[in-house]
Amino acid sequence: MDAFGRGRLAAILTTLAILVGACAPAAGPVPAGSAVPAGGGAVASAAPVRGGTLVFAIWQEPTGLLSNYASQTVAGIVGRVVVEGLTDTDTDGSFIPVLAKQVPTLANGGVKMLAGGKMDVTYELIPNVQWSDGTPLTSADVKFTWETYVKDPKVVTKDGYSAIEAVDTPTPTTAVLHYKQVYGPYLTRFGGLLPKSLEKEADLSKSEYNRKPIGTGPFRISEFVAGDHITAERNPSYRVKDRPYLDRIIFRSVPSREAAIAQLKAGEVDGMWNVLEAQAPDLSADPSIRVIATPSPTVERIELNLAKPGDPADPSLRHPVLGDRAVRRALNLATPKQQLIDKLLFGKAKIGTSPVSQGWASPKGLSQESYDPDQASRALDDAGWTKGADGIRAKSGVRAALTIMTTSGDKVREQIEQVLVDEWRRIGVDLAIKNLPSDVLLSGSFASDPRKRGSFDAVMYASTPAIDPHTTMLRYTTSGIPTAANAGQNFTRFSNPEADAAIAEAGATVDQPRRAELYAKALRLLNDDTAIIWLYDRQSLDAFRANVSGPRGSVWQPITFNAMDWSIRK
Amino acid sequence: MHRVTSYIVRRLAGAVPLLLGISVISFAILKAVPGGPLAAYEANPNVTPEDIARLERVFGLDQPVHVQYLSWLGKLLGGDWGYSFATSQPVLAMIGQRLPNTVYLMGTVYLVTLCIAIPIGVLAATRQYSVFDHLVTGGTFMAYSMPPFWLGLLLIIVFGLQLRWFPLGGMTAPGATAFDLVDRLRHLVLPVTTLAMFGTAHYVRYLRASMLETIGQDYVRTARAKGLAERVVVLRHALKNASIPLVTVAALDLPELFVGALVTEQIFGWPGMGRLFWDAATRSDYPVLMGILSVSAALIVLANLAADVLYGYLDPRIRYS
Repeated sequence: MDAFGRGRLAAILTTLAILVGACAPAAGPVPAGSAVPAGGGAVASAAPVRGGTLVFAIWQEPTGLLSNYASQTVAGIVGRVVVEGLTDTDTDGSFIPVLAKQVPTLANGGVKMLAGGKMDVTYELIPNVQWSDGTPLTSADVKFTWETYVKDPKVVTKDGYSAIEAVDTPTPTTAVLHYKQVYGPYLTRFGGLLPKSLEKEADLSKSEYNRKPIGTGPFRISEFVAGDHITAERNPSYRVKDRPYLDRIIFRSVPSREAAIAQLKAGEVDGMWNVLEAQAPDLSADPSIRVIATPSPTVERIELNLAKPGDPADPSLRHPVLGDRAVRRALNLATPKQQLIDKLLFGKAKIGTSPVSQGWASPKGLSQESYDPDQASRALDDAGWTKGADGIRAKSGVRAALTIMTTSGDKVREQIEQVLVDEWRRIGVDLAIKNLPSDVLLSGSFASDPRKRGSFDAVMYASTPAIDPHTTMLRYTTSGIPTAANAGQNFTRFSNPEADAAIAEAGATVDQPRRAELYAKALRLLNDDTAIIWLYDRQSLDAFRANVSGPRGSVWQPITFNAMDWSIRK
Repeated sequence: MHRVTSYIVRRLAGAVPLLLGISVISFAILKAVPGGPLAAYEANPNVTPEDIARLERVFGLDQPVHVQYLSWLGKLLGGDWGYSFATSQPVLAMIGQRLPNTVYLMGTVYLVTLCIAIPIGVLAATRQYSVFDHLVTGGTFMAYSMPPFWLGLLLIIVFGLQLRWFPLGGMTAPGATAFDLVDRLRHLVLPVTTLAMFGTAHYVRYLRASMLETIGQDYVRTARAKGLAERVVVLRHALKNASIPLVTVAALDLPELFVGALVTEQIFGWPGMGRLFWDAATRSDYPVLMGILSVSAALIVLANLAADVLYGYLDPRIRYS
């Protein structure tokens, strides 16, 4: 009797958000004697309590927990308390050893360049580590992990693993990876090791180990009830003494972010991930709740189509309006980024400057011109775009009329569009809005995604680069211009041979500072062309009850990365 | 009796092409939705275009639509419901995990609805135009017009968030290991109220209308004239005949027992079939969606048949031909 369509359901959930927001009760009871941090970001300083259960709300359903098959953020959040890798990335973007003794580099001899453009990477494992089933961790597990990535057709990505031609295990704690070619982002692989004991599984993705992985992390999964909860209990074989503090974490499946907030306020759950910027002020005002803000690599942008929109577009034809750099520059000048951040995001973001906002490859000193509508008008005047009777500019018979697209139902994005319609009209550019559901706009399929087809003028969305930005940087190369065959992601159709060369060289270089320089060069060329208006760099906002101690954010890791240090005072 | 049996056999045989047609249409509609199961990987910066192409081959998504459909159908006829693209779990096992939860919720709703609706409907009809009848007519009109998602949210806000009487969602308290009846009931109250409200209003209106019609008929007057007690007249003579429309509606609602309530399960975070369908729909998980759609189509066909067979029992004038 209530089989509604998807769009309708989305509307309903939005209604829930509004209703819950409007009718939120007074702050829940604060447990007596608990430390309530004043600033909302401070960590309670009292000694951690041992034992107890923490309930963490997840509002997406993890499909599985092995990182080789899952591509969702939520799978990473749950899986992170169980599965560990050789290395990880700390919050400033540098690599830290996890199951490896040290991070192999050229300097410490862990990486060796060989004749014929090959390279060897040697990992030393820390000794006496046990899997949660009690078997010891050895270099054979590293080899098995590589084999799984190479042989299993269902892994999410083979990128980087297929660059390895063989893995040697000279000692139980030494694994030598023989790369066929120099592979710059080598440290980003082996982020989740698999035990060799799983060799017996014919199809690992279908086995129970995809839902209850054997790992080396502080917890192990004792229960996986789809749609209801996943229970992670303390791993008795965990190598760090006296950790974790908690006995268990229950990841509770809730229907939506808004429901998670309601349950957090009611004290039914103790923590949740990914609060929206607009929801943060209300939560921060509640003394029983602590919101943790962490810079995130996600960058919200407006990409401008440099090619004439077509279905599919022919990149050799210039966009009649946006093909003119002066117009693109004027549009950026007429975009009040700081005002959008202050008013619509409650200050919970900062102005964007490039697609790589965090980590070692984030270019320093890059910027875009700030809001100045008068200068925007002058730039258009100078370029010969003259205002007509209706206040809209035109040049050689072409009207400056554009359409912007974004994901429908995203409140903040829709509000930004409204602002831009006004602001851009003021400088004589007519902007129409045509939004699509996110699974159409961002489908990534050449058959339907307007970004891929090039059938758009301007598109607003967000993208998140990996710690190694190479894949993201390929979006700004000529060969990344989407065709039916290549599945490229250069939606703006930006093409610059100098940028192409810099990005290609960076991909084949191991030296990190040199790579960062090359990427920065390409990004400067991209910004000089104003092909993309970088709106803002987002933050990750996670929220916990004030009686939870320990959680802290890390740019490149899920909030659960230090779950062994979490504790709860009941 | 053999006439009924042959009727059932004929109806079942007729259902086969119907179900096939439904599956073709469902598959075509699912395929027409833009996006697809690999859209989720598109935003992952670690996934290369080569990876996407490989996964497309693994899932058979590079095949023409009719080939994909025939391969699905062929496997299904062989008893293989396939594996979820997203979770790699067998579809049948996924349905099996959710089905008991939905039967538990919807069964309670069904029982509560019938237990409330039948007495109210009968009482309202026998006391037509009384204050009680006016209250029932008005009340059912209101309950019938209230969308379940709205009512569900309202109940959550009032009884969950503000009064804190009932939990905001889920089937049990987090971490509950042993069976706890009180906890179970507390979690049932709000979703059952949401769903039973609509169903009750629905049934009461049907029953009241058909009772009014029946009560005015000659045979009821005759029964009264024979000096039968009013109780017997109403319950044995009038209600049995008046319940035919109700039986139709109730039988047609039976599949919901297994399919669940999409929106209500979603709002209350109930780990049932409705949420499974919702999750699968958001991921374009075709094998799971097709599995659920096929089960529900088959159940609806069966429920229709059950309703028709029940007619004959309730009203011997109806003949199967």
